[in-house]
Amino acid sequence: METLQAGKKTKIIFLIFIIFFVVLQSYPVFWVLIASLKTPEEIAGSAPYALPGSFYLGNYIKAFTQSSLVRYFLNSVVVAICTLFGIVVLSAPAAYAISKIRFKQSEKVLTFFLLGMMIPTFSCLIPMFQTYNTLGLRNTYAAVILPQIGFSLPMCIFLYVGFMKYIPNELLEAGAIDGAGNFRIFRQIVFPMAKNSTVTVVIYNFVSIWNEFTYANTFMTKDEMKTLPIGLNAFVGEMGRRDWGATFSAIVIAILPTIIVYFFLNKQVMEGMAAGAVKS
Amino acid sequence: MKPKRKIEPWLFLLPALVVYVSIVLFPMLQTIGYSFMDWNGIGEKTFAGLKNYSRMLSDKNLRTAFLNNMFFLLLGTVFQMFMGLLMATLLSGIKKGSNLFRVLYFIPCIISSMAVCKIFEKLLSVQPLGVIPALMKLMHLKPIAFLSDFKYALTWVTLIDGYKFCGLYMVIFYAALMNVSKDTIEAAYIDGCNWIQAYFFVKLPAIKNMFFVVLVILVNGCLKGFDVSYILTGGGPGNATELVATYMYKTAFSMSNFGYGSTLAVFILIESLIAVGIVKLIQKKFSD
Repeated sequence: METLQAGKKTKIIFLIFIIFFVVLQSYPVFWVLIASLKTPEEIAGSAPYALPGSFYLGNYIKAFTQSSLVRYFLNSVVVAICTLFGIVVLSAPAAYAISKIRFKQSEKVLTFFLLGMMIPTFSCLIPMFQTYNTLGLRNTYAAVILPQIGFSLPMCIFLYVGFMKYIPNELLEAGAIDGAGNFRIFRQIVFPMAKNSTVTVVIYNFVSIWNEFTYANTFMTKDEMKTLPIGLNAFVGEMGRRDWGATFSAIVIAILPTIIVYFFLNKQVMEGMAAGAVKS
Repeated sequence: MKPKRKIEPWLFLLPALVVYVSIVLFPMLQTIGYSFMDWNGIGEKTFAGLKNYSRMLSDKNLRTAFLNNMFFLLLGTVFQMFMGLLMATLLSGIKKGSNLFRVLYFIPCIISSMAVCKIFEKLLSVQPLGVIPALMKLMHLKPIAFLSDFKYALTWVTLIDGYKFCGLYMVIFYAALMNVSKDTIEAAYIDGCNWIQAYFFVKLPAIKNMFFVVLVILVNGCLKGFDVSYILTGGGPGNATELVATYMYKTAFSMSNFGYGSTLAVFILIESLIAVGIVKLIQKKFSD
């Protein structure tokens, strides 16, 4: 508080506001968590903000056994892993060429990629639908993986270039003297050094890939191909009116993976997402 | 590094370029092409000239969606900036625990809009009773089904969307506030400023540029606003929460009008380019 040089009164006002925002920002998640542990009688009978009387897991059992949540979950995992892999494999070498190989058009190529940041998803959705339809890609993983890779490339190349610029050229030249070509220098020197950028790229994209709605909703119409967000929608549409308990537990299951990742990597997630947003 | 052969950089670039061009750039050009056609998505495309564009200019639904979107943009921007800055300011004022609070404040940002919408749908539900109507009852107010009420639906959609994202601006503003040089602030204190003066006359002007960065993100995001309106209210009741993106999506995928849908997609593209251009222009004026 010294930075503010504020008195006791201000301190207390600050604290009250801080706590108020903690409640505001975390209450919905907290509420859905406790609501998912209520018995059907409690949900029907008690006030909606009341705490549950016991740890009742019946809702979770119902959500797991009476729906394809497990399948949705696995679909989301496959999509996330493939998309992240694709993003890193495509953007890191491209960034290496732009930042470390000397050629005339490197600036122009970067600008060309950065143009993509200004293009809204919605202005590409209709031709995508048509193309995937003709190629038979609808209801395949590729239909949600490819567009997400494509639209992430500009940002990720930008992030990688921003880091690789600062790798001293002497290091690469030393490698070259030892006889390594660009491919080996990239694989053995630059890519390992850019590990932190890779972590940022992966974390920044993981959250948005896991939560992605538009592509999945447009291209995945078969139930067995749905990812968690739209699977959750289908589940709630089916159960939502009659079974709130199962709905609450399904929501918890859907948000748990990101919460767990966030619990361990909160600093990287926050900073990665902020960095990603600021640079767009 | 000098390339051994001229082709070398292009080998590194080729995979990314192919994916980028075929997935982002080419479809965008196709959209522009389709916007001049009559096409229901299945049958033949026929050239329609400017028909779709003249329809767009007189489309009452688009006008409603656009006006809704402007409300969504204005309220959303003000709300998210205010919330983000307020939370960041509070946290920048304490030393202990600011990390923990930051983590808690950020929670809505990492949850899918689907989950956020489903949670709020239940929180706001009147039958059976959700938390918010229940609280209204406690305060002897008549519970209102906000999401199906013509008057309140758009405001709630805007606030829920803003609620989901305001943590992001908190992180950005917090980082900026912590970066303001300590010397400048100390100098202000020595000159006799109290902390409110120091905050408004030293700190805020020092992070002026951040406001524009955030403004660009917000304007860009709000013009493409889609998820919350589409999931929570489906644009309804009536078209009270219809936004340009949801209208475009429905035109193309529910009403199978791919030609006119493409025209609306072009509208979104141009609209966001213009808006960001305007913000950047204002920023230039301010920083001179």
